Amino acid sequence: MIAKQLEKTSRPEALRTAWLIGVAAWAVPGAGHLLLKRWPRALLLGFAVWAMFLTGLWLGGHLFMVASMDQGMSALLQLLPMIANVGSGLLYIVCWLTNTGFAENAQGLTYEYGNTFLLVAGLLNYLAMLDAFDIAAGRKE
Amino acid sequence: MKHVLWMAVFASLTAVVFGVVAKGNTRHRLLYGLKVFAEFLLIALVLGWLLYFLPFR
Repeated sequence: MIAKQLEKTSRPEALRTAWLIGVAAWAVPGAGHLLLKRWPRALLLGFAVWAMFLTGLWLGGHLFMVASMDQGMSALLQLLPMIANVGSGLLYIVCWLTNTGFAENAQGLTYEYGNTFLLVAGLLNYLAMLDAFDIAAGRKE
Repeated sequence: MKHVLWMAVFASLTAVVFGVVAKGNTRHRLLYGLKVFAEFLLIALVLGWLLYFLPFR
């Protein structure tokens, strides 16, 4: 069975499709499973990630970005949360282009909740992306 | 009360994703999602009560 899976995965066209589906799943939450015609999964994953990201913004959360090295190496502290935020795909990029969600409202009552929602939205989308990749590569049903 | 509400929203959305990407049939996934949701709430409540008594005075 494992040999069959490896054979299926190692086919170049299957692997290329899997990578494209992985990129689509990262860019638009839920799109990977949608392309794989897994409608219920696509709807549930898309809804969960979009809802979590939008709730995070609504709660006054803050998106992370390594902007400048003015403060020396301490700017790198932003790197890990930025990687988590980037997991939201185009949602993060649209926010970056429109400069939405990058302002810090630390005095807000729900600021930390918002941060957590935004970080976890990206991390959950990475999980959904890997799931879509595995299904497309034939490693998972 | 709002804190509990946001915690429940967070737990439910996370449990949905965990349940969907889990292995097994639909029933197993549903049960796993519900288990994750319950664990999130339970652990948060236990930690909340523990932190209520800390630091000792």
